[in-house]
Amino acid sequence: MIKYIIKRVVILIPVLIGISIILFIVSKMMPGDPVRMMLPLTIKPENYDAAYETMRARLGLDKSVVEQYFRWMYNIIIEGDLGFSALFRRPVVECIGEPLKNTIILNACINVLYLIIALPVGIRMAVKRGSLFDNGWQVFSLATYSVPSFFLALSLIFIFSITLGWLPLSGMPNASLLGGFDLFISWVRHLILPVVTLTIISLAGAIRYIRNAMIDALSQDYIRTARSKGLSEKVVIYSHAFRNALIPISTIIVGVIFSLFAGSAITEAVFSYHGIGRLLVTAVQGRDTMLVISMNLIFSVINVTAVLAADIVYGLIDPRIKLK
Amino acid sequence: MSNNDIKKTGKSFLSMFKRLFVRDKTEINVLEEEALRTPFKMVMSKLVRSKMALIGFFGFIAILLFSFVGSMIWPLDRTYTELTNMNLRPSRNFLRMPRSLNNKNVVKVVSGVSFSVALTDDGNLTMWGTECNIARESIADLIFDIPDAVKDAFIVDVEAGMRFIICKDKDGKFYGWGHSGHDQAKLPTDVKRIMDVRGSNIVKMEAGTLWSAALGHDGYLYVWGSRQAVNSFIVPGSLEGRIVDFAAGESNMALILDDGTLRVIGARGTEYFDNVPAELTDGSVQVAEVVSTSRNVLARDTNGHLYLWGSSIDGLLNMPEDLVPDKIIDIDAGYKNFVVVKDDGSVYIWGADDLKQLNVPQNLKGVTRVFADAFQFYAANDNGEIVGAWGNKGYIWGSDQFGRDIFTRIIHGGRISLTVGAVAVVISVTISIFIGLTSGFFGGWVDHGLMRLADIFDSIPFLPLAITLSYVIGFDMSESAKLYFIMLILGVLSWTGLARLIRAQLLLEREKDFVLAARALGIKQQGIMVRHILPNVFSYVIVSVTLSYAGMILTEAGLSFLGFGVKEPTPSWGNMLTSAEHSAVIAHYWWRWIIPALFVVAAALSINMLGDALREAMDPKSEER
Repeated sequence: MIKYIIKRVVILIPVLIGISIILFIVSKMMPGDPVRMMLPLTIKPENYDAAYETMRARLGLDKSVVEQYFRWMYNIIIEGDLGFSALFRRPVVECIGEPLKNTIILNACINVLYLIIALPVGIRMAVKRGSLFDNGWQVFSLATYSVPSFFLALSLIFIFSITLGWLPLSGMPNASLLGGFDLFISWVRHLILPVVTLTIISLAGAIRYIRNAMIDALSQDYIRTARSKGLSEKVVIYSHAFRNALIPISTIIVGVIFSLFAGSAITEAVFSYHGIGRLLVTAVQGRDTMLVISMNLIFSVINVTAVLAADIVYGLIDPRIKLK
Repeated sequence: MSNNDIKKTGKSFLSMFKRLFVRDKTEINVLEEEALRTPFKMVMSKLVRSKMALIGFFGFIAILLFSFVGSMIWPLDRTYTELTNMNLRPSRNFLRMPRSLNNKNVVKVVSGVSFSVALTDDGNLTMWGTECNIARESIADLIFDIPDAVKDAFIVDVEAGMRFIICKDKDGKFYGWGHSGHDQAKLPTDVKRIMDVRGSNIVKMEAGTLWSAALGHDGYLYVWGSRQAVNSFIVPGSLEGRIVDFAAGESNMALILDDGTLRVIGARGTEYFDNVPAELTDGSVQVAEVVSTSRNVLARDTNGHLYLWGSSIDGLLNMPEDLVPDKIIDIDAGYKNFVVVKDDGSVYIWGADDLKQLNVPQNLKGVTRVFADAFQFYAANDNGEIVGAWGNKGYIWGSDQFGRDIFTRIIHGGRISLTVGAVAVVISVTISIFIGLTSGFFGGWVDHGLMRLADIFDSIPFLPLAITLSYVIGFDMSESAKLYFIMLILGVLSWTGLARLIRAQLLLEREKDFVLAARALGIKQQGIMVRHILPNVFSYVIVSVTLSYAGMILTEAGLSFLGFGVKEPTPSWGNMLTSAEHSAVIAHYWWRWIIPALFVVAAALSINMLGDALREAMDPKSEER
């Protein structure tokens, strides 16, 4: 097993290097002069050239491109320094903290809600294949698959915020004005619409996936054996089929844990939710090279780790998987 | 039975006829059916039986025809804007006069952007058209909310601004309502006081977009509304008290003085201001009448001669050549058009045709004057009956923030969105097939390297990278280059899934028994690949292409919605939705986001349905229950 994990990790190294090279190339193509963006606005015209050269040297931009790349990597891996945001004039790590917290709060709600709905629905769909229940959810899944998330978000805003006036339009609770229980209530009210939007959007894929995994499990020979032994249908489904269906489903659950960190740029933009996705849009529009590239890098590393984790979990719970 | 026998029976015309219309089950035995039904035919027959596939197919064809044929029928001027007409709700009733006007003597008809008001000789106002305002405290009233005081009063004169109405009753009392963000619909108390002190009786009124103007019988001109307009329309002291008539454009006014000469006030440097014909100002002719569009002036002297000057846009300086300057009984001006009526009832109109202004009805009879104000034109006869109306009928799906017709933009946006999606799919599928086949065919380190490349592309999240690339590289691209670039981004970033699928299928099929059989028969490796393995892989490709086409359309919409996709003014369903981020748009201008979004949904849904049905049809397991 340890060998399996080590092999998986080793495979990741070229992938990570590839990602970093691509992102480095993209960062070099960003419009705008990073040196000028880093210079304080108060600088006097006569000192400008000298200050420009000093800043250029400080940022390491006077070195060769290859050297710059290694310096960048060194800073990230050894010193944990992601660079300095020219837009917010703070270290990148500080800029990401607060939005990341907001995104995690939002995604935690979504993930809990969606697992609670998707698992039972997917299983029931597979068990009652071809029934009204199955077809109904199939239609739902097909429909939500075809609806852009921003349209769903806009429609929910139109119905619940504007027409009915039950929920706030968009934005965030004001932590400085509210305290204690009021703040909590405000959080809940601001979260309802984005959570509902993203849950519906992500449900479509998940229930199909779970249904197919379950159908696969139900068509196996051991299910026929279990039935012919005279076991009750409940035992067959939950003990024999579901446990085996869990192997593919585990990928979803691992994915869910890692998706906590990935912001949804579109939904967060519609609801003006100060999450990581919206920060990315702001950073791109503000031509903040370091912030944009760092965020892309963080997202990528999270993705890579998620795939690795899914592989390991797979290997742990499925005895059939052997190292080739 | 061999292939030849089947061909023979097929050759006979009668038997073909029989097979088409007479169902004879005994004729085809099992083996024949086996030989006749190719996998393609089987899939097709399953598809035709599937309701979902049919709905999806015909839905998609309908959208396709609507966009591609529609864009030939309704061409789009991409850079066109008409700001006066922004945010008008869907309707086609701008010209639909109520029947109650039929037997009445209409004295005057004035129009705003989406409504017209008729003043009848019994002192009543009749309104038709569509609401153009959103009621907001102290900024705007609904234009169709005619104040009760106006309904009770005997109205003798009325003028319509773009989104407001002013009128006065027979006692000289002034009324105004509608959009009044600059107080243009309300006579300010200081202006009222000056009028009262001087004892001016209003003899003529004009209303623009942000201002109103009134002329007193004593030759004084009063302007109120936006500060800019008031400052720009200051009448020089030497002209005060000498004005007998005036006509107003957007930023200039033409004044007729008591000595019959003409002066222009307002913004300097415009053709309106600079190009006044000399004979009108030096007193050599007497100006009888003057009318003005937003940027042009048409004046008539007492001898019936016409003088035309101003901006050259919209072809307003091109007076019809067959218009002989005598026997003219009426001249009037819309926002971008001049109308002239001759004594034989013929109507001449020239200027812009963006809103069908030149579309004069053929069968007009006995026209003695035409009421023109904005974009609607009403021809009236001697008895004050309206005999014809033409101009802007309305926008069937509303207009957007630049006054562009959403219907046309949806059609052309559909063309763009569907094309971007299709090209992106072609790019992505080409890369997928190439990499998938190479990887599966060669194996070894090539496979390993390509799969790591796929890992890299999979690991960088799609939307953030797409946004970044679209902004970084597409930053200073021209509109059309950006369009191609979006296709490229979508295609290049989304090949991994299908490439992996093709590779996996290739590896899977390679181990199957029929390949072994083919090999045992001595068929060449290439032949096995092309004739035996690829057809089995391609069914996956087709399903994947269909489903990813829907995905591409949605992604393009999302990217454009965030402002990183197709650049304005080229329309796409996505970028038509960009402005819907503002809550005011969501709340008040529903047609601006619901309509394009519904088209995205309809297109994606129909393609997804087709793709789903295709997958079912191609999967032999799907019929097992």
